[in-house]
Amino acid sequence: MPDKVEFVTIFIDGEAYQVPKGANLVDVAKFYADNDIPVFCYHPKMSPVGMCRMCLVELGNSVDRQTNDIKYNADGKPEVMWFPKLQTACTTTVTHGMAVRTDTPKVTDARDDVIEFILTSHPLDCPICDKGGECPLQNLTMRHGAGVSRFDFDNKLHLDKHVPLGELIYLDRERCIQCARCTRFCDEVVGDPVLGFHERGRSLQIVTLSDPPFDTYFSGNTTDICPVGALTTADFRFGARPWELNEVPSLDPYGPEGANISLSTRLDRDSGGVTIIKRVMPRQNEYVNEIWISDKTRFGHHHSRAENRLSKPMVRREDGTLETVSWNEALNTIAEVLKKSAGSVGAVAGPMVSNEDLWELRQLVELTGGSKLGIWPATMTGAEAVAQVGVGTGTNFKDMGKGTTIVVVASDLEEEAPIWFLRTKQARDRGAKLMLLTARPTKLDKYAACILRHHHGETLNAVNNLIGAVLSSDGFTFEESRAEGFDTVKKAKYKGDEAGYDEAAKMITGAENVVVLVGHEGLTLAQHGDVMQSAANLLILTGHVGKPNNGLIPVWPGANTQGALDLGFSAEATADALSQSVVIVAGADPVGTDPAAKAFIASADFVIALSMFDTATTAIAKVILPRQSVPERDGTFTNGERRVQRFYTAQGLIGDTRPDWKVFSQLSNLIDPAVKVRLSAAAVMAEITKNVPRYAEMSYKNLARMEKQFPDVGGDDLYYGGTAYGNHGGLGVQWPVDAEAAGKKLTLKAVKSEKTAKRKGLVAVPVRRLYDRSPEFSASQMMHQRIPSAYAQLSRKDAEKLKVVEGDDITLVFGDGKVRVTAKVDGSTPEGVVLVPVNLTDNPVPTAPMAVEVEK
Amino acid sequence: MEHILLRSRDISDIRKLDVYLRNGGYEGLKKAVLEHTSDQVIQIVKDSGLRGRGGAGFSTGMKWSFIPRDYPVKYVVVNADESEPGTFKDRELMEFNPHQVIEGAMIAAYAIKARAVYIYLRGEFWDIAGDLDQCIEQAREKGLVGQNILGTDWSCECYTHLGAGAYICGEETALLNSLQGLIGQPRVRPPFPAQVGGGLYYEPTVVNNVETLANVPWIIVNGAEAYKKIGTEKSPGTKIFCVSGHVNNPGNYEFPLGITFRQLIEAAGGMRDGKKCKAILPSGASGPVVPGTDKVLDTPLTYEDVAAIDTVLGSASVIIMDEDTDMVWAALKMARFFKHESCGKCTPCREGTYWLYRVISDLYKGNATLKDIELLADVAANMQGVTICALGDFAANPILSTVKHFRAEYEAYVKAQKPATVASAAD
Ligand SMILES: Cc1cc2nc3c(=O)[nH]c(=O)nc-3n(C[C@H](O)[C@H](O)[C@H](O)COP(=O)(O)O)c2cc1C
Ligand code: SF4
Ligand code: SF4
Ligand code: FES
Repeated sequence: MPDKVEFVTIFIDGEAYQVPKGANLVDVAKFYADNDIPVFCYHPKMSPVGMCRMCLVELGNSVDRQTNDIKYNADGKPEVMWFPKLQTACTTTVTHGMAVRTDTPKVTDARDDVIEFILTSHPLDCPICDKGGECPLQNLTMRHGAGVSRFDFDNKLHLDKHVPLGELIYLDRERCIQCARCTRFCDEVVGDPVLGFHERGRSLQIVTLSDPPFDTYFSGNTTDICPVGALTTADFRFGARPWELNEVPSLDPYGPEGANISLSTRLDRDSGGVTIIKRVMPRQNEYVNEIWISDKTRFGHHHSRAENRLSKPMVRREDGTLETVSWNEALNTIAEVLKKSAGSVGAVAGPMVSNEDLWELRQLVELTGGSKLGIWPATMTGAEAVAQVGVGTGTNFKDMGKGTTIVVVASDLEEEAPIWFLRTKQARDRGAKLMLLTARPTKLDKYAACILRHHHGETLNAVNNLIGAVLSSDGFTFEESRAEGFDTVKKAKYKGDEAGYDEAAKMITGAENVVVLVGHEGLTLAQHGDVMQSAANLLILTGHVGKPNNGLIPVWPGANTQGALDLGFSAEATADALSQSVVIVAGADPVGTDPAAKAFIASADFVIALSMFDTATTAIAKVILPRQSVPERDGTFTNGERRVQRFYTAQGLIGDTRPDWKVFSQLSNLIDPAVKVRLSAAAVMAEITKNVPRYAEMSYKNLARMEKQFPDVGGDDLYYGGTAYGNHGGLGVQWPVDAEAAGKKLTLKAVKSEKTAKRKGLVAVPVRRLYDRSPEFSASQMMHQRIPSAYAQLSRKDAEKLKVVEGDDITLVFGDGKVRVTAKVDGSTPEGVVLVPVNLTDNPVPTAPMAVEVEK
Repeated sequence: MEHILLRSRDISDIRKLDVYLRNGGYEGLKKAVLEHTSDQVIQIVKDSGLRGRGGAGFSTGMKWSFIPRDYPVKYVVVNADESEPGTFKDRELMEFNPHQVIEGAMIAAYAIKARAVYIYLRGEFWDIAGDLDQCIEQAREKGLVGQNILGTDWSCECYTHLGAGAYICGEETALLNSLQGLIGQPRVRPPFPAQVGGGLYYEPTVVNNVETLANVPWIIVNGAEAYKKIGTEKSPGTKIFCVSGHVNNPGNYEFPLGITFRQLIEAAGGMRDGKKCKAILPSGASGPVVPGTDKVLDTPLTYEDVAAIDTVLGSASVIIMDEDTDMVWAALKMARFFKHESCGKCTPCREGTYWLYRVISDLYKGNATLKDIELLADVAANMQGVTICALGDFAANPILSTVKHFRAEYEAYVKAQKPATVASAAD
């Protein structure tokens, strides 16, 4: 619960409790009095609707209207005026002197009656229902249900049981109890009003209102919060019974948000006796993803046991053919090459590579005398800015509301970090102001209080001009003690009078909290670094640093980009790393995802690829080592808010694979027997804690620490938060930034605005789409309908000039590279750019903006 | 007696604006706007004791006084959904005395300084809505609606809006949702329509029945005291009684509140074919049925007296049933109506209306035991007092009251396993 709340006295079944004023009665009773008021429609993450009537209680007031004091009678008990009718607890917010009775016959009767009513039209499906075993209706029936039904079985309504609400989610109309949790989730939490009620009375039914059906990135969450088995996922329905499943804490492998998940696993006949994932559920972490995950996170897990997973080490013979070899042979081959490399060794790691892997990779490279440690994709940078002014520890989007300004720079948040999109939107619903510094409209536009639109590539000037407007705003003063380098900012002479910027400046200076999320759309790597620095300057200048809910959040391209930067890897080093004579590529496919990478790596003599799949990079590799997917192993990722979090081994091994850290550790040992082989991921982390000061607190034990969370979901009662799983894996630990250290002086480094060059020709701007064709996602067959086909988006004007219409097949030519895509033409695309989604095409498209020609 | 409401009975062309104006039309609005402050208008209506004619009988002046004074955006919504079975009074008012309804609504709007008036009519009233639109235009030409009303700086628009055929949209919060283009389901209160967050587009809103508002011009012109002289102390004024069923002349009758059921039946031409009155539904399908005993027949039709015989005056849609009426059949018809009209938002009503209907249908078809009569009564009782809106209570009323007063008829169905004899079968 947020602090700064006023506490009031209420009475629950005669006991007095101090509870936060204005909080929901159901939440309060559970959290403070351990009193589970039964609910179906209420959900602590959504506004109450009072529909199911399960939560009826006796409600009264003991406050004297004149004095506003609680009236007590002679024996010290409050004198309560009771409402004549029962009231719904879920629509009640607590006030001073409120009294509640939950244990009287009147209340018990009402609860029994409501259960009886619900059951009259509920089918007897429990033995075949996915929710059976973790079903709020089952549980509450155990508590409140009559032993015998008074409803004539022949009178049961029979309704459709397999209504597709799109291809991902199915509705069983018989099971639905019309609680509107699913519709409210879409309307309120996500802002995609794609479900609704149709008809009335007993015919009231859930329908999808969108085309394509159930069109949202978050549809799976409705199946978790549905209090019955009415909504099931195409992925899991009829797949297993909940009590056969083992819940293993894990992490989303895709996004920078670090969503906590639980992998429900089972020894499965179909998988040849290997423990496999049957479903992915959210795991409550109120700091990170609350109880929500995107459909990508939920349904993407199939890659972890895809048919085409590489399962054995392979070595390329002189004639170019690949031969499957033993791990020993593969590692010895590599060790020999590394020994002879004379330090010309580079490493490039992808975004799903864990901190432990990265650490051991770095040890290996350094052992050979090499130093080039790159990341892939090499699109974003700014480790220094983050180290200074990353969001303060304890930051929680959930605490953001009135008084907070959230600034989104050069990012399409819904596509790049869906959980941050959702939480930003919700913060805005609570009163936070949203400011966008973006080059084109995105879904966030409709929530924005201020949009500073600029051309792609000119984001730096937009941020600088915002600083200019801040400096020239009324009453702006800068405390020199805060940071050095204020003179560099003054000297930079930013424009302070751009139209609309003064209003924006006020939203920054007038806010209590400011969070800036920085993406990289339309920016080169160097430009992105400048934007990060300038954004850091903005935060330092306005004092929005060093405390919770203030600071910088980079919208990194992957789950562990932050970890890579923390451990000495960088995007700047990537080109160099790829140009060494021996190149180790772990969990990335540079050759297949950027034409530029191909050119760099061409000079390498020996490429070692650690990969889960055949890629364009493995195609040129001399040795290919099969990687493990996240569920097969343990490790840690560091999210964009610098929270280091653990994932645990969930799935049985697929093929003869090893975790990367082990591979690197064994290689180090082969090169120098004095280097000990690490025996576990935990041991590697222990090494990291000793050597990387920021990670000193990141022992596995600390990362696994839990605290009681609000709301209290996923407990034994189950009804309260649906089946969203309780967290038994830990909340993770954030490392503190410089701005939080007492007495540490920060540094302002002004970045000069760029001269805006006259634009000639078209520029291809790579954009990220949530659903792409990367092998780590597209292995999930069920998502194929949702993955866009390869396309490029043009403005109407440019399309007219090129005589291209929507749906035309066009060829994009950049340098030597060419891709064939379908043209999309719309009014939202700015003139002069071609938006080109990455990871959708067969041939690589650039990961940084680049001149492009469009051919029909 | 001269009619206050059904004035077309006295002046046949009063629906025409010039006739209405010649006969004192819009004098109430003029007096209110030019001579009184908003607060004074509210006070007059409060003093008159006028109670809502839509069903609940809540003090109209009190309702208006709940609207926050200084709030910038407020609305008046006229409830012209008139969907209670046996109710047909608002229709006659709007068809034959439309300007009085508009005038009453505009006075209400002045009293709360509303920005607009919305007249929400049931979908079947599309022709009336068309005529009302014309009346509104005529009134606008005379400066009685729209910009700078009567030359003052107060402006207020007036619109009509058609529903789509749902009984529940007569319930004021479902009506507001429907008016907003949302699904027609009631809202949880608080907040109430008069409060910020509770009304139309979540702005403070007065919702009044057509008939309620049609009283207002007379009250403003003649004063609260004059109004209070009509009817009884707790139920002042005249009321339109919609009499239907087994009487010789069914129709609308305007009388001061306080005439008895017996007098009302007489006014409606007496019982058809000289039969005896067996039962009365004083408030359409939604209020409890009462037997046609002398005690009941001599009960004055006021809010308080009707409540004393365990039923409600409601909208005064008085359905008279003669000695030949099969009360189980009547209850079945009403159960079917409520099953069809429950919005489905809350559990006890959605499931209960369906359940009641199934059990009573079975009973009516002869497939029931004595225990099913208890079941009916118990299910109905379990629906009461626990739902979001009053429809849940309404739906239970016909069952509970027929079981209470005419239990023998239910038992006869069970004992004789009597097949359906009256009218069509259960469905
Ligand atoms: C199920 C239900 C249906 C209703 N239908 C109507 C109706 O058709 N017309 C009406 O005026 N009031 C109807 N009401 C009453 C309204 O909710 C509301 O009380 C009334 O419009 C208030 O106006 P009044 O104070 O002028 O009576 C209905 C109420 C319920 C619960
Ligand atoms: S589908 Fe589930 S969540 Fe949606 S209304 Fe029905 S029971 Fe509630
Ligand atoms: S009582 Fe019936 S009509 Fe009223 S809200 Fe509940 S379900 Fe809808
Ligand atoms: S009505 Fe309160 S939980 Fe459904």
